[in-house]
Amino acid sequence: MAERIMPSSAGHPKEKISHGVCVAGPMTVHTVDGVIRRVRPIVLTDDDTPGWVIKARGKEYTPQRKFTMSLLGYCEKDRTYAYDRLKYPMIREDFVETPDGKNRNTENRGKSGYRRASWDEALSLVAREIKRLQKTYGKETITACTSSHHSWGLVGYKISLFNRFFSMMGYTRIADNPDSWEGFHWGTPHTYGYYWRLGGPEPYDMLEMAMQNCETIICWSSDPDTSRGGYSAQESALWRWWMKEMGIQFIYVDPFNNYTSVKHADKWIGPRMGTDAAILEAIAYVWLTEGTYDKEYVRQHGHRFKEFADHILGRGPDGTPKTPKWAEELSLVKAMDIKAIARRWAQTPTTVGSGMRGGFGGACRHSNGTEYARLLVLLSAMQGMGKPGRAFWGPGCGAPMNYNFWFGGYSDPLASIAKAPIADDVPMNSVSQVLYRPNLPDAILNGHYEWYGEGFCGGGIDLEFTRHVYPAPGCNKVHCFWRYGGSFFGTMLDTNKWAAMYKSPELEFVINQDIYFTPETRHADVILPACTNLERTDIGEVGSSGLGGYCSHSESGNSWQMIVYQEKAIEPLWDSRSDFWIFSQVAARLGFGERFTEGRDEEAWAKRFWQFSDLPKQMSWDAFKKKGYYIIPTSLKEEDKDPKTGLIANWDRRPGFNWFAENRACDTMNHKVFQEEHLLGTFSGKFEFVSESLTYWAPDDEARRPIPQYQDSWEGHTSLTADKFPYGLISPHPRFDYHTHYNQHAKWLWEIPKNRVIINGNPYLVCHINKETADQKGIKDGDVVRLFNDRGSVLCVARVSYRLYPQTIHAYTSSGIYNPIEYGKYKSWDKGGSINVLTPGRLMGEYVPGMAPYSCNIDVEKCEADPNYGQGWEYILDEVDKQQLETERPIRTSMDADLIFGEREEWIRQQMMKKEAI
Amino acid sequence: MLKKAMKQPGIAINSARCMACYACFMACKDEHCGWDTALSKAQPELGQYWMNIVEWERGDNPRHIKTATVPTPCSHCDNPACVAAAKDGGAYKRPDGIVIIDPEKAKGQKQIADACPIHAVYWNEDLQLPQKCTMCAELLDDPDYPGFEPRCVEACPNQALVFGDLADPDSNISKLIAANKVTQLDGLGSMGSSVVHLNIPSCFIAGTVAYPEELEEVCIGANVKATCEDGTVYETKTNWAGDYEFEDLPKGKKFSVDISFEGFKSVHYDVLTDADHYVDITYLEPIA
Repeated sequence: MAERIMPSSAGHPKEKISHGVCVAGPMTVHTVDGVIRRVRPIVLTDDDTPGWVIKARGKEYTPQRKFTMSLLGYCEKDRTYAYDRLKYPMIREDFVETPDGKNRNTENRGKSGYRRASWDEALSLVAREIKRLQKTYGKETITACTSSHHSWGLVGYKISLFNRFFSMMGYTRIADNPDSWEGFHWGTPHTYGYYWRLGGPEPYDMLEMAMQNCETIICWSSDPDTSRGGYSAQESALWRWWMKEMGIQFIYVDPFNNYTSVKHADKWIGPRMGTDAAILEAIAYVWLTEGTYDKEYVRQHGHRFKEFADHILGRGPDGTPKTPKWAEELSLVKAMDIKAIARRWAQTPTTVGSGMRGGFGGACRHSNGTEYARLLVLLSAMQGMGKPGRAFWGPGCGAPMNYNFWFGGYSDPLASIAKAPIADDVPMNSVSQVLYRPNLPDAILNGHYEWYGEGFCGGGIDLEFTRHVYPAPGCNKVHCFWRYGGSFFGTMLDTNKWAAMYKSPELEFVINQDIYFTPETRHADVILPACTNLERTDIGEVGSSGLGGYCSHSESGNSWQMIVYQEKAIEPLWDSRSDFWIFSQVAARLGFGERFTEGRDEEAWAKRFWQFSDLPKQMSWDAFKKKGYYIIPTSLKEEDKDPKTGLIANWDRRPGFNWFAENRACDTMNHKVFQEEHLLGTFSGKFEFVSESLTYWAPDDEARRPIPQYQDSWEGHTSLTADKFPYGLISPHPRFDYHTHYNQHAKWLWEIPKNRVIINGNPYLVCHINKETADQKGIKDGDVVRLFNDRGSVLCVARVSYRLYPQTIHAYTSSGIYNPIEYGKYKSWDKGGSINVLTPGRLMGEYVPGMAPYSCNIDVEKCEADPNYGQGWEYILDEVDKQQLETERPIRTSMDADLIFGEREEWIRQQMMKKEAI
Repeated sequence: MLKKAMKQPGIAINSARCMACYACFMACKDEHCGWDTALSKAQPELGQYWMNIVEWERGDNPRHIKTATVPTPCSHCDNPACVAAAKDGGAYKRPDGIVIIDPEKAKGQKQIADACPIHAVYWNEDLQLPQKCTMCAELLDDPDYPGFEPRCVEACPNQALVFGDLADPDSNISKLIAANKVTQLDGLGSMGSSVVHLNIPSCFIAGTVAYPEELEEVCIGANVKATCEDGTVYETKTNWAGDYEFEDLPKGKKFSVDISFEGFKSVHYDVLTDADHYVDITYLEPIA
């Protein structure tokens, strides 16, 4: 720590200071003459609350007095002035506004260029088309969908603003799938309830519990330094050093020796893809044969344990004892290692969790993912889940926090401009038809699609089994797609199918409203350029997802609970406008403008969130705006401070799940009625070793058996394609990106050698290949390689490594860049690194509508061809920047803008010349 | 002139704490890309890494792999090679120890970039200018700038980068350096510098000990002794996972590794610390 830290909100004579939030944390923004000078972390001042203090093993631990932004936050300047910003409204060159919606050259989407339009022309076209479509086919003809987390703030976030506009207009909603934690969402509610947390566990006060009691922490399929508690920046990094340095043993299980593991693991094992469940069964076998599980706990809280034990010991229908040797044959993890981990887990106070908040992790995004997730919960129960040191938790959340201070998180029903009390006029969507995101292309291309389940089933287990048909009875098919914010090319599976969907004449009209010219934007008929978070006003608490089910109290992933006034730092660049403005304009043209805005601008809406919270008791609106942020003290009581240090030593502690272990009524902040009776949210109220809900709802479900168990994947090492494509692809959520929101835009990221390597101007994604595999294939570190299977090919740069075993290849998902060499040609090689070109579009099971990117077989070869032919990288610049050169120069009031834009323009010129030469 | 009186401002870089999260790398770009200051011309958007993260993988078997991650800015050496190579005051060392390349006077002097023993000075072809880290001296000098640390240090979430006065023995940075192993970068030899690297790892020898293979059991508590050719002896026992590790051994030495466990035959290996090595799994044989 430095000797002295000056307050970050003190003024600089030439610099204006404001504050913002993104998924990488909160930030202090310095601007000079309307241009962003720098983006710094928020460094706390003396008038901010003292921090909490955790006393453990004779020492005291308190967080640093700054909010630690992750690398992505520091890219904000590069991303704001990015070369691929959308600058003007645009209309596809060969789009023809035919009166019947036919013959619109839809096959050219993704290929055609664009012409610049005025806002009035673009908005009028949008309004005319919506009216025509609604008149022809009804309101259900328009569908719309958003990415997650391309912006932050309660006014602008999708559940708020987008929801308000589309509910008011009426549309076919596209249900999201829980794409980051499928196995927990569709699995663990059948084992321990918690469907209202979408399958995730309780994080409450778990950090203190672990620091005081744990001797072992198992991070299964978890890379907390990369997943960062979801959107809690690098806040938990220091906690893990505290725990590591106090001697807690860390065990990491992940096919890739990930970035936290390679630094922290005392033991790392790397199972073959999709075999985690087998290892868990073998661990249970060790405990059962050695009698080292918590028998009293299981007797009290377990349901039908004996049948589970019989299954493990080989007395069940399959007659196979799930021995460590059996698991070794499947997973290639040595039986002796499995035994050693099983004994360490049983003998020492051990906490286990999956992925960023305990109930996430790539291993659950596999065809066998529900079974893995359920087994992990059951094994945690076998060791007394909820007892001190025996938790189900991941070390990326669970810091002390104030549960008694109300300020809404983004999914909170009470914190949305689409809902009361924030809105006076609460819209209800008049269309009942829904679509389902993972299979949107199938629905559009085939004109018919059927599936089970709501996307998010926080309302009850039964919601997993609702039957949906598209088109819904009495409804028309959709003919218009309004895509908003971020790109699914990169996050949704079988990317080529999405590209095919956009070419379908079924989609008569495609609108894309975004900040950047993403691979998906390129498929629109009309492009509406939105501005960034820093160019509009909003309000939000850092990392707080709210009580809407997204693992509530996620802000416990931060050391500080911080509410930020997200002040507009600069004016919208070029001709971009805030999303609020865009929706207001369309609403006005459709006749519900005033109803939509209620006469408020963005700041007036932001103030409503302040007003309907506990914040006014602490800070006036003007004071809050001036300071820019407020940190919620962990306790507001003076007597809770340590008299010596002034740190907050006492607070309203609610250790997660402890109530259940100790037979108390639930005292944590997310309980349901039956938990008052100290029961879980399963049919039996106990841990269901044999699931009653699955037995009742889906006895014939082949993906989820009543007893969770390892099963061979429909695409894995035993499937038919394994001969042709022998390697398992692991594609976790990225360390150097967030969904698709950074990598294409912020070029600084391309210079991280573990992220991308620039060869001939193209930023190739990096993949990790085991040394042995590389030697067999003649691949050297730094070579361009082709990863491929029957679905497509992606060109990457190889990192030859021992951080994974020969059977596995690692490349991060959600590249953000999708750049096929020959655009529009099916299966053309992608050199943007869009790894989901390779992953299957298939759902996990008939009743399990989750996606399974970890069920993916591929092969690899050295790329001998010259990957630099074809249109290459500059396609993104074609239509956006060509016009830029021809038209007036953008806002440039300082050296900064000149330098950034100047360099970029030169680069574009070079690219253009190259292209002409071809 | 620094706004806070510090005789020798410096940065301690504790490599053991670095996760290679790249926050420092990005904060540096955020500060220096696109803006000139009195002490430096703008860092170009691509191609220069004033705060470079040097990373290598350690080990030769997936069973025991680590990475070394070494944030590497300019070391602000005591006797800077760049200053020696510069003509006409193109590079100079300030009284507080910070080494600056003059953005005007250094024009055309490529030899300044070539002279750096740790490759921390970059050559800007467009500007014909050598460029490097300024330790954010322009910010530290500015009485109106609200922060008080170089941007990389402020950005570090792991407390791997620590800023303070090296001349003050009671400062946090001096205490940290005193309590840890100083590992200057190879190119600097034994030269002092205002950026002090700590705990850069050298080499490990690691392995696993197990009972006879058919038992499928790791051996906990086996004695492992590593004897260096210079006579130094290192001893440890296998842990709960049957693993052992000797970390930070001297490089390029011959070691004999001896494994013993009561009731089993002793096992011997010869290992050279030319690089990090994993001695595979040792399956013990019972004494007949």
